[in-house]
Amino acid sequence: MDNLRFFEIYRSSEYVGLLFDGILISAGLTVAAGLLGVALALILASVRYWQVPIINWVAAAYVDFIRNTPLIVQLFFIAFGLPAAIGYTWPFWAHALLALTINFSGYFAEIFRSGFASIPVGQREAAAALNLSKKTIFRHIVLPQTVITMFPSLSSQFIFLFLTTGVISEIGVGDLTHAGIFIDSRTFRSFEVFITLTGLYILISLVLKSSLQLWFRSTLGKRAPG
Amino acid sequence: MVQVNTWEEGARVKELLIELIGAPLGTIVSQLIFAAQYTVYLSLIAFVGGGIAAVFVTLARIASYRPVQSVATGYIWLFQSTPLLMLLFLCGLGFPHLLQFQISPWTAASIALTIFTSAYLAEVWRGAIGAVGMGQWEASKALNLRYAVMLRRIIIPQAVKFGLAPTIGFLVQIIKGTSLAYIIGFHDLMLIGKRWANAPVDGSEPFVVYPIMALLYFCLCYPLALFARQLEQKALARGQ
Repeated sequence: MDNLRFFEIYRSSEYVGLLFDGILISAGLTVAAGLLGVALALILASVRYWQVPIINWVAAAYVDFIRNTPLIVQLFFIAFGLPAAIGYTWPFWAHALLALTINFSGYFAEIFRSGFASIPVGQREAAAALNLSKKTIFRHIVLPQTVITMFPSLSSQFIFLFLTTGVISEIGVGDLTHAGIFIDSRTFRSFEVFITLTGLYILISLVLKSSLQLWFRSTLGKRAPG
Repeated sequence: MVQVNTWEEGARVKELLIELIGAPLGTIVSQLIFAAQYTVYLSLIAFVGGGIAAVFVTLARIASYRPVQSVATGYIWLFQSTPLLMLLFLCGLGFPHLLQFQISPWTAASIALTIFTSAYLAEVWRGAIGAVGMGQWEASKALNLRYAVMLRRIIIPQAVKFGLAPTIGFLVQIIKGTSLAYIIGFHDLMLIGKRWANAPVDGSEPFVVYPIMALLYFCLCYPLALFARQLEQKALARGQ
């Protein structure tokens, strides 16, 4: 096919620079939202594990609501709705980070919850028979096993969520999708631009996936049974 | 026979909503509900189309001929790793630009979501078929059943109980996925809602419209999520 003109993208240092910045912003925001999301999810799942009255229900409703509404609606509410209602102005990336964190936390919380629930009751009973406090049981028996056994689910969910982050370009964050849309509007080489973008997204997700695996093997994985 | 005039019914719903919650809000909600039907149609097209495509991909994935298996594995991997947004851009802009043809947002969104759905459903169904014990395959072979009969009568009926809950659960992903189709100009709940949120009308501020939209999406998704959870628990109870 002689009408494929990929060189229009990669010969322009401006476009290559934009794509490179886009990669950094997409990956950076996803990793930051992933870490914050895991922290928030642990709080949410713990609240449910401890059956804290009322907050328990709030956490459950929050998780269900986040998981059953599209990211883009959550994002637009945080980026356009809340600022108009409360009257704060943040940079675009901060809105995106907040929206992604909230979105990720819902999915991670559900994984943690099912992880907590999958610990056999016998273990908790045995620990209680050894006179370990409920706090110790949670911190030293339930939590570590959950994190280790649920790591593969968390990691694949994280990669899946990364692939949805392109929508933050819709609120003006200069991520990878945003760079692509800009280059497309300049060159009209839509096919070449979006194929390139797809390739870059796949590449980043492979890098994220393998770094997560390497990190897991060198730290928590050593404690995994078997 | 009772004649139902949907247009009149729609107008009545709108009037009722306006009476209940005031003029701009009632109009907005009735328009959003009206637009939500296109979200439902697109989801159904993606589910049915993706389901049919996934049948072939799953069959190829479990085929005994290696190259066919590899192609199916590659297909699943490729389209599970491609962001849905990129599929939409490629179907709505990329291919039409490259090959110089016109495509309607309906067609483009349907194709993109069908491909997206087929890759995920094929993976779910392969897992479900894999969960059926090896003994079942061996026993059917020993009975000299033809491959098609073995799949239809022995393997698939057993695989359904593993695959049904995640399949219903994936419908939620499809409905949420359709919210991106507005980017290539598909008229659905998302597009109409976004227009209202941007409109300089008192009472259609973004902090009013987006929560209503979220609620409508929730009403579409949550029953399915609940149903999937119930099926899963039933399957677990049966397994024990």
